[in-house]
Amino acid sequence: MVALIIAAHGELAPALLASTQMIMGPLDNVEAVDFTKSEGPDDLLAKYEDAYKRVGPDVLFLVDLFGGSPFNAAARFAAVHPGVDVVTGVSLPMLIEVSAGMNGADVPTLVKAAIAAGGSGIRTYSQMQTTVSTADEEGDEL
Amino acid sequence: MKIKLLRIDSRLIHGQIANNWVGTVGVQTMIAACDSAAHDNLRKTLLMQVGREPTKTFVLDIAKTLRVYNNPKYADLDVLMVVETPQDVIRLMDGGIPVTEVNVGGITYKEGMTRVTESVSVGKAEIEAFQELHRRGIKLEVRQLPSSSHSDMMDDLKAKNLI
Repeated sequence: MVALIIAAHGELAPALLASTQMIMGPLDNVEAVDFTKSEGPDDLLAKYEDAYKRVGPDVLFLVDLFGGSPFNAAARFAAVHPGVDVVTGVSLPMLIEVSAGMNGADVPTLVKAAIAAGGSGIRTYSQMQTTVSTADEEGDEL
Repeated sequence: MKIKLLRIDSRLIHGQIANNWVGTVGVQTMIAACDSAAHDNLRKTLLMQVGREPTKTFVLDIAKTLRVYNNPKYADLDVLMVVETPQDVIRLMDGGIPVTEVNVGGITYKEGMTRVTESVSVGKAEIEAFQELHRRGIKLEVRQLPSSSHSDMMDDLKAKNLI
């Protein structure tokens, strides 16, 4: 089974994991890595290595920001660990979709699911379709 | 119509239902049966957007829910149905929908209510309705998510000395 490592600036990753579990229930094989002000790239790599020992070898990193330290360290990690990939822009919609599809899926499949869910999770109220009128309350048709 | 899950949830359809229950129950149709939501265009619009493809979501008042339920066209349709209150479960039953089990998902706390569990609060009207459902032999299971711990609504009410 593929495992997820969520990594982000500050306490975002553990908070995102907790929020995801509020919707999906307890999740196995998902690790959250925080990144505090006093830490550097080597601290991240050490935490990634720890998490990888618990849940590897097939791991998908979901990180917050392209070019940020959690991403840079994850990219370095992926470069030397076959079977590992990294997706940026982690969000609750992305985590819900990926954690729902973890069973039996491989890393490339989950990468596609993550990218699709990350995009489609962004909506705008002003562009939502407005509902039908009350006319549909008559009759017995759905 | 086959109601695979009947849930009480004052938020009606939200993330836990659209992303988790719907897959576990294995349906592609969700019905929020609620008079106030069906007559509130904004709330109805928002509820109808929560479900994701291929799930279809409908927001109907109780009267229309009963008509649709009895339409032979939907005899084989599997449905996840959510109502706001235990009182509405009684209205569905009195309208002819057979019910044997209800998932008590969440009733949001309002002034004058007592918190029974983390997610379920009750006032006098809810307590009376749960007692009536219990008299009718309905199994009332408090459970937020398919994987959550669960308990019996009547046991929870007793534990809080509410019945």
